[in-house]
Amino acid sequence: MLETTKNMARQILDEKKADGILGLMKGQWDIIQPHVFENPAELDNLVLEPKWLLAKLAMRVLRSSSENYTLAVICRGCDERALIELIKRNQIEEKTLLTIGIACSQEQAALCLCDRPYPAKLDAGEAVSGVDPLEDERVRALLIGNDTQRMEKWADMLRRCIKCYGCRNSCPICICEPCKLEDEVWVQRGTVPAEMIPFHLIRAFHLSDTCVACGACQEACPVNIPLLWLQFSMRKTLRERYGYEAGLDTETKSPVLSSAFEKPDSDREYPAWIHSLRERDGS
Amino acid sequence: MGPNFIKTICPYCGTGCGLLIEVRDGVAVATRPDREHPVSRGSLCIKGWSAHEFIHHPDRLTAPLLRKGDTFQKIPWDEAIPMAASKLRETAAQYGGDAIGGLSSAKCTNEENYLFQKLIRTAFKTNNVDHCARLCHAPTTVAMAQTLGSGAMTNSISDLAGAECILAIGSNTAESHPIIMGEIYTAVDRGAALIVVDPRETAVTRNAKIHLRIQPGTDIPLLCGMMRHIIDEGLHNEEFIGARMEGFEELRAFLQSWPVSRAADECGIDEGLIRDVANRYATAKESAIIYCMGITQHACGTANVLAICDLAMLCGHVGTEHSGIYPLRGQNNVQGACDMGALPNVYPGYQDVSDPAMQDKFQKAWGGELSDMPGLTVTEIIGRAGKDIRAAYIMAENPALSDPDVNHVLESLKALDFLIVQDIFLTETAQFAHLIFPSSCFAEKSGTFTNTERRFQLLRKAVDPPGSAKEDLEILCLLGNALGLDFSYTNPAEVMDEIASLVPAYGGIRFDRLEREGLQWPCPDLEHPGTPYLHKGRFTRGKGLFVIPEYTPPKELPDEQYPYYLSTGRMFAHYHTGTMTRRSPFLNRELDEAYAEINPEDAAHLNVKEGDRIKVTTRRGDMITTARITNRVSKNCIFAPFHFTEARANRLTNPVLDPRSKIPEFKVCAADVRKEPQDGER
Repeated sequence: MLETTKNMARQILDEKKADGILGLMKGQWDIIQPHVFENPAELDNLVLEPKWLLAKLAMRVLRSSSENYTLAVICRGCDERALIELIKRNQIEEKTLLTIGIACSQEQAALCLCDRPYPAKLDAGEAVSGVDPLEDERVRALLIGNDTQRMEKWADMLRRCIKCYGCRNSCPICICEPCKLEDEVWVQRGTVPAEMIPFHLIRAFHLSDTCVACGACQEACPVNIPLLWLQFSMRKTLRERYGYEAGLDTETKSPVLSSAFEKPDSDREYPAWIHSLRERDGS
Repeated sequence: MGPNFIKTICPYCGTGCGLLIEVRDGVAVATRPDREHPVSRGSLCIKGWSAHEFIHHPDRLTAPLLRKGDTFQKIPWDEAIPMAASKLRETAAQYGGDAIGGLSSAKCTNEENYLFQKLIRTAFKTNNVDHCARLCHAPTTVAMAQTLGSGAMTNSISDLAGAECILAIGSNTAESHPIIMGEIYTAVDRGAALIVVDPRETAVTRNAKIHLRIQPGTDIPLLCGMMRHIIDEGLHNEEFIGARMEGFEELRAFLQSWPVSRAADECGIDEGLIRDVANRYATAKESAIIYCMGITQHACGTANVLAICDLAMLCGHVGTEHSGIYPLRGQNNVQGACDMGALPNVYPGYQDVSDPAMQDKFQKAWGGELSDMPGLTVTEIIGRAGKDIRAAYIMAENPALSDPDVNHVLESLKALDFLIVQDIFLTETAQFAHLIFPSSCFAEKSGTFTNTERRFQLLRKAVDPPGSAKEDLEILCLLGNALGLDFSYTNPAEVMDEIASLVPAYGGIRFDRLEREGLQWPCPDLEHPGTPYLHKGRFTRGKGLFVIPEYTPPKELPDEQYPYYLSTGRMFAHYHTGTMTRRSPFLNRELDEAYAEINPEDAAHLNVKEGDRIKVTTRRGDMITTARITNRVSKNCIFAPFHFTEARANRLTNPVLDPRSKIPEFKVCAADVRKEPQDGER
């Protein structure tokens, strides 16, 4: 898998299809860190482990580079979905981005509770089957049961928050400017923990139809809050009720964005106020 | 061109988290966590995420500055260095070397601290060199050296995750050492009991199993009550005490004067709860004690730490992987600054200046005569400024904000004949300087920092210093050479090699061994893998020693005129004197004004509403700040963070010192609070 990836990356640089390759480099003293490979000779030091999410970095690299800079990103399934989502939301120009898709191992998938541990465009490695996060006992304990109990459990977890903003900073999709979490109307400044409803639930709702379940938030959280798990129910609902999943392609709009009346659905009952909107909208 | 990611170490607290600084076109544009770092493993706190924000701030000092009346004038280095050398030489010639004081820095690297103390000691034959460890963990180095033989955290940060019981005393870990808090939660998630002792309610106490809200300054009664109960119930570890300890009978006899009921009365905690907590701590398989400024910043700070050591040793909770004593060090390199001998009584590696063998060893190595008389501490150097101290060299410290009773500090700084300040910004202290050396921040130099778990870590240069500012190491070499010393070091690795040759415990430390994960001292030779936890099987001093912790209540208690307790401390978004954090836009957005916490009942009594301006007064001075009304403080208690130059909490603090460690009593003094006229009212 590593050799295939290296060869592909080398070819991309040789053929000048991209100006740089974003991946992991194992340098002197075995230090591993993200690196933009611009010189093909450096690619000897390319590695694929550990899981180190690169989509947010990719966006930063592209944003701070000249307009015609093209970047190829070595990405896992979740990174690919994040990049697709960013293209869909006009944060990355599609023509400036290439991907080299790599598959995750079964162990990694189990660790991440990932239901899709491979990219759509798989270039290296074998896709393994995903796991259903809602079958996990720890997840079920926090997502299933009566409202009061669940609220208590989550309140216990979220009360640990030290307000590092690491969940927001590391999330590839958390890109609004200005950020609502920095708006004093919603989030009180200068106190910890960050309040559960304004801070954490605003963030969860903002990401409800864009989260690609990469787990960057949870990995960045210093106090072990399972932030990704907050998204599992919504992802399931979107998939089951609307056949939608974030980051699978650049075309399909989120059901939250596409107004319900764009594609009238004869099977579905809409509340009356939607009809009034439709009239006003002239559709 | 794409960006570079430079692997380095956070410049804020002693946790020593791993950063990747994103550099583009010579500018540090972002900070990201280092997933491969052994301590932080991909997480950072709000300050770590913002670590790049002050680096290119327009306020950075870019050229040496010479005082001309009330203003400063830029001068070239080739004037600044000879002037500094000749002024210091003149002072030493006229008044003797002991008229010079040097404040080294917990913000600077090991190599810089080593050279700083070497310069002061060899050029002026004085031991007047100290740094801000005096204001944070001086009692730790004194008490833990006496009881265990090594004044440092016994275990590794990651060991906490395996403890069964964690007793945290006087540590707001969630705000001051947030990444360490994560390890505590990992332990809690595995079933550990978190017990927190703090007069204040904090993010730590709210997530604890038990919160003991003691009266300020009554840690010794609580700990003695616990120990008494443990002995009465036979829960102490007799095997451990028999094999590894000295002084048990003396401690047992002393504890006769601490029946649990007396402890309960003194600290205001129910007797049953003290017994319960003692049971939990003593009977858990492995128990850890975390403590911080709530223990040390008292006039009985050393005795407080002694009591903690006694409790741990009584139960045999030292010397195993998940037990231990965790003094959490406050600054990125305060451990290292102590290790490097930036202390008035010891050479590098805690080798005593008054021991003739040590004096001889360092005289030979450094090629000059050294003083065998312990020097003055931070508070003494400042206190005697303008009296027996005539000139001072302050490297990256800000006593004008950080020291107690700063009104007095400002007078002292003014009284100096000559003050050299070396810093990255024109700090409140630099404003009093005659000569200022512009230096480099953490991202502009290489070297090593030692974190709170004794881990030497490599700092890597990401960007160049601004203007003609220089790396501190280079400034020290220039000045050293101008003073006639042979400071011909070309890089910090050479300095580390010299340190390794002089301190047995750091004998195996070399830069090329630190690249990936660093090394935890003791590391005596080149094959040694470093030491994750101390005192396994044998204490550093041989046998462990029980030392009697004599209780003295806080020196200034509330009275009619000053009816409130005042405590000072940190809050999560800012750091110490704010030199860096208040120039970081994201941190300043989080909080841009000073405040003091006051209990709702007291606020109602004073007719103070949330956000009102209040004046807090003590016998030393006053400050006007903003009221935050909250149950985090008990009735009768005020808490004020000390980060704010416009409301300096240290105008109020009591400069009374712990007799052994000379730490001031920042945590308790008596204060009065009044409502100020509000805007639009007169």
